[in-house]
Amino acid sequence: MKKELGSFVIGDSTKCTGCKACEMACFTVHNQGSNHVGKTVGTVTVPVVPRLFLTKFEYGCMPIQCKHCENAPCLNACTKGAISRIDNQVIVDPEKCIGCKDCMQACPFGAVTLLPYAKDGKVVAQIGSNETRVFASKCDLCKDVPGGPACVRACPHEALRLVDPEAEREEKNIKAAEALLLTKNWR
Amino acid sequence: MNYFVKGNPDLCIGCRTCMIGCVVVHEGKHIFEVDPDSYNFNPRLHMVKTAKISVPVQCKHCENPACMAACPVQAIYQEDHRVLINTDKCIGCKACATACPFGAIDIVSLAGTRQADGSERKVANKCDLCNNIAGGPACVRVCPTQALSLVTEEDLGGAMEKKRMEAARNAYMEIHPQNGG
Repeated sequence: MKKELGSFVIGDSTKCTGCKACEMACFTVHNQGSNHVGKTVGTVTVPVVPRLFLTKFEYGCMPIQCKHCENAPCLNACTKGAISRIDNQVIVDPEKCIGCKDCMQACPFGAVTLLPYAKDGKVVAQIGSNETRVFASKCDLCKDVPGGPACVRACPHEALRLVDPEAEREEKNIKAAEALLLTKNWR
Repeated sequence: MNYFVKGNPDLCIGCRTCMIGCVVVHEGKHIFEVDPDSYNFNPRLHMVKTAKISVPVQCKHCENPACMAACPVQAIYQEDHRVLINTDKCIGCKACATACPFGAIDIVSLAGTRQADGSERKVANKCDLCNNIAGGPACVRVCPTQALSLVTEEDLGGAMEKKRMEAARNAYMEIHPQNGG
């Protein structure tokens, strides 16, 4: 039976230098289309909002991003139905998001944050106010990006990797089985 | 010490009876009477077959469980010589599966439960040493070649003690060969 689990990207704090290339790459690929972000800084007319978050802590730094949980607290907490599972990944629809912050509170990783929403190269204003509309910004595993997660490709230290949980489990199973040859005469 | 089930690759013939036994005790015998697609076949141990080996791999019920340390919602705990998952708390984040070096944790659909958007709710699943099941681990009981055994603290401690005595005896014999048989 195919398990069809959501893949996810994880960071390695032993390799990460905190350069934020991942955050920049994330912003770039997600804003190339409707926000016309190109190859130079001059093309950026919208706030730089990433979907993964470089996090500094006592022992170093690493990016933190969505694990695409299979019983996702953010999805289950979203009353507006703005978060759904599409092709096994947990995806936010920024058009539906009302910025209620429930998903932020539900996520145990801090992987989702409300950030300014921009479209057609400019920030979107709220209806009934001049304030900027926000949306729940979180990793979508670069679902519409050719070549897969931009953060993984952009990292100069290979500190990020895309995890296929099923394939990884099977690989570890084989190693564990072969290790049993070494301990079979334990008695 | 936590107990664990261990497979012997010399005896295992890869028949997967352990996997069936596991599902039967955890799902109930009714699975033989219902439509096979109406329940989830989620064995808690995985048969590994390679050119070198056939043996099931399952949770080792580690003493400092990496899965437990990785769980952000404290859904993994230790009780009664075993490491257990509280599936009510589990959010399916796969952190435990990533942390486990043996690939002993699967993320599986839980029958009858859905997420808020109607998609399947999946949670972590692993060997619970047949918690609350009379007779102990079903895989051990059903294996036709007795390739699986439950290892307790007494078993492991006894084996270590025996090996240490043997090592001491050998060391003694080296110095006092005249006492040897």
